[in-house]
Formats: sequence, structure tokens, C-alpha cells
Amino acid sequence: MEIVVTNESDIAVFAITGRLDAVSVPQLEERLNQWFEQPGKKLIFDLQGLDYISSAGLRVFLTTAKKMKARDGKLCMARLRDNVKDVFTISGFIALIPAFDTLGAAQDAIK
Amino acid sequence: MIMKKMPARVESLHELLTFIRAEAKKRGFSESALNRIELVAEEALVNVFVHGYAKGQGQVEVRCLVADDPSLTIEIHDTGVAFDPLSLADPDVQSDLTKRKIGGMGVFFIRKMTDRVAYRREGNSNILAMTFLNR
Repeated sequence: MEIVVTNESDIAVFAITGRLDAVSVPQLEERLNQWFEQPGKKLIFDLQGLDYISSAGLRVFLTTAKKMKARDGKLCMARLRDNVKDVFTISGFIALIPAFDTLGAAQDAIK
Repeated sequence: MIMKKMPARVESLHELLTFIRAEAKKRGFSESALNRIELVAEEALVNVFVHGYAKGQGQVEVRCLVADDPSLTIEIHDTGVAFDPLSLADPDVQSDLTKRKIGGMGVFFIRKMTDRVAYRREGNSNILAMTFLNR
């Protein structure tokens, strides 16, 4: 798994590629913990390159959503592949974190 | 029957999933079915890695069974503490962000994405048998 973090004005974009599973989750948690040390309030997960997610990955997304809510911030996701979207739908997480088809739509939504 | 045995720890995960996916692929499952099989297998294996052995030292064995009908049954065997993952209640997938709990998703996926799933205890082994039909 690879994570590339970019900042555009006050929005941070985490582009996650590869597999988000029990093996790679600690890596994402570490990057997020670093990010949460600063006061940012807008975060997008860009999942165009994400091939696979398991409950271990969902757990990090849920924790992040709760932390963002606690700091009155905004979180959303962009460009989910079908099999990843499937996992979000079955788990009900699709209703907890807004998902958009394009990165632009995600950015507009949390501006 | 084809089987693979490895230490029950997260470092074994990718090799075991590659093995399972390859066995399922040989039986002609579609790409989306393979994705679900892999996900369910990870959930079952990680349960064993995390809860199976108190000191983190034990083995997990994956068996792929073939039947006459076009199905695949994957059995996960461990000799850790007796535990039936199917005894856990499903999470409330309707609840909102504030109320949503972190745990329980793995077993929920196992229930949702298998065609049949059963737990049994044989001697000192936990056995979780998960069947996928090839439609």
C-alpha cells in the first residue's frame, strides 16, 4: 500500500493505493495520527488506486470519521472502485462518509 | 483436499490469501466472487491471529475442499482457545456515526458473503467452514 498526502489550500487529500488490509492498516493509522496532530478540518480519501479493503481498513475510516466529527471537520471519499464500494455498502459505512465519483466533486462538497 | 499451514500471525496473511485466491480461481469463480472470497478469508484468518492464541504462538491451517457441485469450501483450522465467531451478534449497520461501534464487522462480512458458514469444535481444534457456490 502507498499513501500520498497532498494539500490544496485547506484541504488534505490522502491518495491511498494498493491494499488496505490487516497488514497495511498500521501504516495508514500512523499517517493519520500525524495529520491529526495539526488542526486541519478538511480531509478527502482519494481511493482511485485502492484495490482492496477489509474490516481492518474500515475500522480506520470509522475512527477517522469520529475524530473529524469531534473537531467539527469535514471528511469525504472520492473515486471508489466497485469492489471497494461494495464493502462500504454492505457495511453501511457508505451512509457515514459521503462518497463522490470525482475528486473535484469531493473538493466542492467540503469547500 | 489441498491445504496450507502457517504460523498464526499477520505476516502469514498475504501468502495464505494468495493460496486461497489461486484455488478459487482454478474453480472458475468470477473476479467479483474472488474479491469476496478473499475478503471473507482475511476476516476469518485475522480473527484467529488476534483471538486464537494467547501468546501469539500457534498455527493456522487452511483447507480447500471440493465437492461435486460447483462450490468451494474453505476450512480454517486452529488449536487456540475454543471460540465460535458466529456466536457474536451482528453490528447495527443502520446506526449513525455517533452510535456506530468499531467491532464486529469481520464476522458480519463472513455471514453476509458466504453461501454457508458453520463452526465446529473437533478435539482441540476450532474449525470454521465457509462455502461459496459458483453461480
